[in-house]
Amino acid sequence: MSLLEIRDLHISYPNPKGEFFAVDGVDLTIEKGEFVGLAGESGCGKTTLALSIPRLLPRGSHIGAGSIHFNGVDTTALSEEGMRALRWKEISVVFQGALNALNPVHTIGSQIAEPIRIHDESVSKKQAHDRTLELLEAVGIPARRFEDFPHQFSGGMRQRVMIAMALSCMPKLVIADEPITALDVMTQAQILDLLRSLCDRYSLSMLLISHDLSVLAQTCDRVAVMYAGKMAEQGPTSRVFGNHGAKHPYTQRLLSAYPNIKHERKFIDGIPGYPPDLSQEQVGCRFADRCDVALSRCATEVPELIDIGGGQSVACHLASDIRAGVQ
Amino acid sequence: MMKRDRTSANHGFWYFMGKLWADRMGRWGLIALAITTFIAVICPIFFPFDPSKVGADAASILTGPSKTHLLGSDELGRDVLRQFFTGARISLFVGIMATVISTIVGSGLGIFAGYYMGRLDGILMRITDFFLVVPALPLMIALGAIFGQNITVIIMVIGFLSWPRTARIVRSQTLSLRQRQFVPRAKSLGSSNLRIIRTHIVPHVMPLIVANTILVVAGCILSEATLSFIGLGDPDRISWGTMLHFSFVSGAIGRGAWWYFLPPGFGILFIVLGFTLVGHSFEKITNPRLGGSE
Amino acid sequence: MPFLLRRFFTLLSSIFAIVTFNFFLFHIIPGDPIRLIARTQRLNAEAIAKMRASFGLDGSILSQYFRYLSKLVHGDLGYSFSFKENVSGLVGRALGNTLLLLTASTLIVVILGIAIGVFAGSRQGKKSDTATVISSLILWSMPTFWVGMLLVFTFGVWVGGLPISGISTANAVYSNGFEYFMDISRHLILPTVTLAIVDIAFFIIITRTALIDVMSEDYMLTARGKGLGRRAIVWRHGFRNAMLPVLTASALYISALVGGAIQVEVVFSWPGMGLLMYNSVLARDYPVLEASFLLTTVAVLVANFAADLLYRVLDPRVAVSK
Repeated sequence: MSLLEIRDLHISYPNPKGEFFAVDGVDLTIEKGEFVGLAGESGCGKTTLALSIPRLLPRGSHIGAGSIHFNGVDTTALSEEGMRALRWKEISVVFQGALNALNPVHTIGSQIAEPIRIHDESVSKKQAHDRTLELLEAVGIPARRFEDFPHQFSGGMRQRVMIAMALSCMPKLVIADEPITALDVMTQAQILDLLRSLCDRYSLSMLLISHDLSVLAQTCDRVAVMYAGKMAEQGPTSRVFGNHGAKHPYTQRLLSAYPNIKHERKFIDGIPGYPPDLSQEQVGCRFADRCDVALSRCATEVPELIDIGGGQSVACHLASDIRAGVQ
Repeated sequence: MMKRDRTSANHGFWYFMGKLWADRMGRWGLIALAITTFIAVICPIFFPFDPSKVGADAASILTGPSKTHLLGSDELGRDVLRQFFTGARISLFVGIMATVISTIVGSGLGIFAGYYMGRLDGILMRITDFFLVVPALPLMIALGAIFGQNITVIIMVIGFLSWPRTARIVRSQTLSLRQRQFVPRAKSLGSSNLRIIRTHIVPHVMPLIVANTILVVAGCILSEATLSFIGLGDPDRISWGTMLHFSFVSGAIGRGAWWYFLPPGFGILFIVLGFTLVGHSFEKITNPRLGGSE
Repeated sequence: MPFLLRRFFTLLSSIFAIVTFNFFLFHIIPGDPIRLIARTQRLNAEAIAKMRASFGLDGSILSQYFRYLSKLVHGDLGYSFSFKENVSGLVGRALGNTLLLLTASTLIVVILGIAIGVFAGSRQGKKSDTATVISSLILWSMPTFWVGMLLVFTFGVWVGGLPISGISTANAVYSNGFEYFMDISRHLILPTVTLAIVDIAFFIIITRTALIDVMSEDYMLTARGKGLGRRAIVWRHGFRNAMLPVLTASALYISALVGGAIQVEVVFSWPGMGLLMYNSVLARDYPVLEASFLLTTVAVLVANFAADLLYRVLDPRVAVSK
């Protein structure tokens, strides 16, 4: 049994034009101890997908169809109370921008310790305090800073606090939503290393969201690329990011926007055109308008996500043709 | 003001009226304002109030509603309904005139402080903060008592003491406009400061000023009512506040003369609520960030 | 503590400014208050000269000003002609009564206002929230004195049952302190309720808006993500942050409170600063008006100073960085 199994998930938000289909039939699986990366442009639905796992979507959003099985339990069927028991205890989140994700009027120590006693009433205050000190040490923050407030820390240090907080209940799954976006390059590397080594040490699973493919390439066992609310391609990192491994034209364009993953960096808005308006009904492949190699059927037929072997699957008519040709 | 607004936001007066009408709070506010304006402007023409037309004898004093006096009579035997119509006119007039003064002073100071920044800004804001903190009503009472009871004094006193909030709001908006690209660019093209203020700053702060102004009217009408109630109103120009003053000192409450003190109070409530609703609604329209608040 | 010192210096300079402002307001601008008084009361030349001296209106403006300052420092606020008493004594008694009224209604306003504001704000857009907002706007739009008049009419004339005038029953003989306390408490009810009704509306609206703003902050999502219950999310994480903008608006609130207290005291004949101010306006008793204006303003300045300090306590960001 996989730790997380998302099947055919649909999430929509109400908007002035009617409804906005942010996630439109997405599958995603995470095994125990596995690090999975989720990539895509902003607005492609990756954060919506991630936050639907602990059910932290904004008010008004609606899970239309599909299921999320966590550890064998369908969380979409859980009551709010039942979900609350899972949050942080089983699934925690390292939010984007720790300055805003930490409460400015509470000390960092109390914020890290807070969930420990909520989820386990048998823990004494003293034990929670000791546990917090251990966590601080693990993320490299001196114990004397327990009583300090978030604004007294630098960006990198705040993200360390955030990580310590995410680990406070030793969850099974950590969702890291753009955890290093606002940081400078040196700090980015440190925080990423820390996150990876801690999850490794405690054998936790991680869903890492980033628009930066190099980050995912360094960290994850498997990557999934989303485009306009749908999964475009997914597979082992070594395959998808390997030489000529990416089969979806969108993934290829993303990768070519990073000529050298380790060195020079360009940004991905190098692809001309815009993603489609997700409040409209979609016909055909969503990437067709921006795709150089689109076929005529791409405008009318929705490409299914097809397993092309080696654990990799792609949602592209071209790829399925390739496979058909190979066979 | 509305005319200027048209050029600024590229939306006409009717555009905003339509938007206000589409909003539930705005619609009720507009209806309330239309009714009060009608009472204030039209009714006194057909039912003028003559303060000297007092009752002939004690029996005509503080009488309840009847055919001759639809809303009864006051402590001098005068018609309350006619007084109510005139009162609407004076309350609205004082409220609006005081707001005009307050808006000119407040926006002017705010724009200059925000545009020129530096020391001028520091001094102006110290003064603004001072007036923001000093309690308005005692100061109004003191000034009203010193300068005497007439309508001009009341308008000036209220107007010159209601500007600090406007100044604060307009200044911060101007300050953020000042940081944007077009000001340095216009300057490098040789535009004078006054010209930049007129063409780049004023049009952009205008929606904010209008929204704020509508709310200031509400406050000014309340201030007028309170000052008049305290006994600083113009005895020759009876406002709703003055009516409440006379009903209070003549013991109308003790005699149960509800027709005397209920109508002006409801009048004030009605018009202040009208301005408040329209103001909040307008704020929502011009500042979409607040949109979710209802 | 450099902040405390600096803020205290601002307070002192504000007080100094208001004292000076006060001096010019009552001594220079109206030309001559004596003439104003002489207009309403027939006075002979000797009386005018005596009055002039007692006002400190002889000598140059500068010497008048310094004399005024030194008198002020010694607590000499002049003599009231209408009350036939030293102003300082009058004002002292009135101040105590006003503080009693303000404390009682502020307690109600703060406790109920916060509770209702948080209730409405955490149910944004629901029926109960809309109803709260609309009733608050209606309450806010009512003149305080008129609310008082309605209550006087209701409880004094129509239904009856509660005292509507003064601070205690006239000529009452109390057998013990408790009876006296109860008598004052009964007299306190209607003025307090009147003052609270209008100001609570203000407080509800501000608290609600602040909480709604805070609810959309990222750390509120973190709190939800941690698996906290609704109450813990709102109160432990939202409330204290929401109180910061509420405290910032306290200057407005304090000003509104003082304005409301004046009206309430007039309607209910509550013997405080407001009634004193009202009576001194009616009698054109300038020394009393001047002193009550000065004292009220200084009290407001001090209250704002206290609110500022409280802000520093509640918000760790300013407390440490300054």
